Amino acid sequence: MHTRHFILQFVISFFSIVIISSVVSATDNMTEVTYRLKWLFNTSVVGDLYTDTQGIFKAHGLDVTVKAGGPERDAIRELELGHAQFGVASADQVIRALAKGSPVVVIAQLFQVNPLQWIYRDTGTTINNLSDLKGKTIGITYGGNDETIMRSLLAKAELREKDVNLYSVRYDYTQFYQGKVDIWPVYVNAQGIILSEKLNDAGESVQFFNPADFGIQFVANSVVTSEKMIKEHPETVQMFITALLKGWEASLLLSNKDLAIQTIRQFDKDTVLNILEQQLEITRKLIKPNDRTLVGQFNIEAWKQTEAIMLEQKQIKKPVHVENVLKQITR
Amino acid sequence: MFLRRIYQFLMIYFIGLGVLLLLKYGLNLSNYVIPGLSEIYSTGTTEFARYFNDVVNTLSVAIIGQIVAVCMALFVGIIGRQATWFGSFVKVAAYNIQAYPIVALAPIIFILLGDGFISRLLIAAMICYFPLLLSIIGIMSEPITDVEHFYNVTGKMRWQLEVKIRSFENLNKLTTVITGSATLAMAGTIVAEFIAANAGIGYSIRIALYQSSLSKILAALFVIGITLSVYQGLLEWSGAVIKKGWASSGGPT
Repeated sequence: MHTRHFILQFVISFFSIVIISSVVSATDNMTEVTYRLKWLFNTSVVGDLYTDTQGIFKAHGLDVTVKAGGPERDAIRELELGHAQFGVASADQVIRALAKGSPVVVIAQLFQVNPLQWIYRDTGTTINNLSDLKGKTIGITYGGNDETIMRSLLAKAELREKDVNLYSVRYDYTQFYQGKVDIWPVYVNAQGIILSEKLNDAGESVQFFNPADFGIQFVANSVVTSEKMIKEHPETVQMFITALLKGWEASLLLSNKDLAIQTIRQFDKDTVLNILEQQLEITRKLIKPNDRTLVGQFNIEAWKQTEAIMLEQKQIKKPVHVENVLKQITR
Repeated sequence: MFLRRIYQFLMIYFIGLGVLLLLKYGLNLSNYVIPGLSEIYSTGTTEFARYFNDVVNTLSVAIIGQIVAVCMALFVGIIGRQATWFGSFVKVAAYNIQAYPIVALAPIIFILLGDGFISRLLIAAMICYFPLLLSIIGIMSEPITDVEHFYNVTGKMRWQLEVKIRSFENLNKLTTVITGSATLAMAGTIVAEFIAANAGIGYSIRIALYQSSLSKILAALFVIGITLSVYQGLLEWSGAVIKKGWASSGGPT
């Protein structure tokens, strides 16, 4: 009798909890979405984290799960598989996906300047013109964006592969520290700062070789969603992009610097404060190079150039007209 | 044996591929997520020669790594079989050290030794060494009482004879363990190449991953599977030949 009473009580309590939770959820009336980033949580995603932690998504009626990316993560695939509704992808990913029929749509371009650049010691190495690359040992990640960009630069300089020494790089910088590789690809707002600091500590000063300075604009991270989201849930897309860009703008304001740093530190506990501050400073210039730039705006010419480069290097078989999938959502 | 290994692999590969295609067409996924059959075929035919060379490169490292691992495991296993203090020490040490994830050590190996041949070899050998060692210690520590008793009571037992008797009686087990370790050696080499090397099929898979090309990865998996099946078939065949040879010559004595 006692057991039966207990079971009855348990069943009633269980269903009460389920009913109450669904009522609370309905009252919240929040739209749940998943946002897959391209890389791990670090300063490069400060705006994404800021928007989430400062409740900007929630204020726009969204319950967003922000997920870190990584080398084996691909936001565009996750959009198609329904694991995420929004994501961050680089322009080459978008163009490759379009070439294979993926229904991806770009709704904001986060980086106005590609953070992928090359670091070099300014003692002994000078790169004032592209022809200065001749004879240099150049680090590239075979198959990566940096390979594509470097090959375009070499073609522009009318240099052949035998005119330089291409060196396959990974995450270990030993060869650069030892001076065996002259210029090494880095994300200027991430490892770029850390390497600079280390070399400065060792009494060496460094420079960055930015392909954009030599006419090669290769678009980096952008916010993507699916055609299905645009068609079936345009209001969610509107709310998401409005909140996200508002969050990004706020995170880059000088007056919000401390809050932005505090946000990053919640997720990136390994990077010291001094480095984080420098990373944030550089990130600000890459996302919003000047006051006139609106965070998220498209540089259509840069997108077209990115596609042209990929076409030239036979990474895609035919034009995809990427400009057709760039949808500037009005905020 | 080769044929059995190959058709077993082909069955598994094509079942896997079938499931992928079922998902692709069932969920209406683009070629970016899962490539179509024609893309997989054209990528396979275009890349086959290059990937085959890469796999041969990887397999050669894996074979050398496996030989090193087998020799080391036999050496330590033979010492560890003894019921002495040193034997027990070797056994305990082997059990404890094998718990260390080699892949976690791989980046350190690459930093210290660079991303060339030696690092790949070392990682391949280390990944298949510990499972081999544990099996060999197990086999070598177990007396074959029926046979060994005679030599023990007549005072003719020597350590070489003991090892031969135990190996002969467990030749099937040893062949299976060594054949299985071939997969581990290959996996170890591929992981090593994936992390930091600049040659081999693991390196090519990494490049394909950068390029988001699943069709290239599927082509690479096909070449890896076929090559490994042939190698494993060869190992099994060698085991059978050795056993037959030993049996016809009257056993291990």
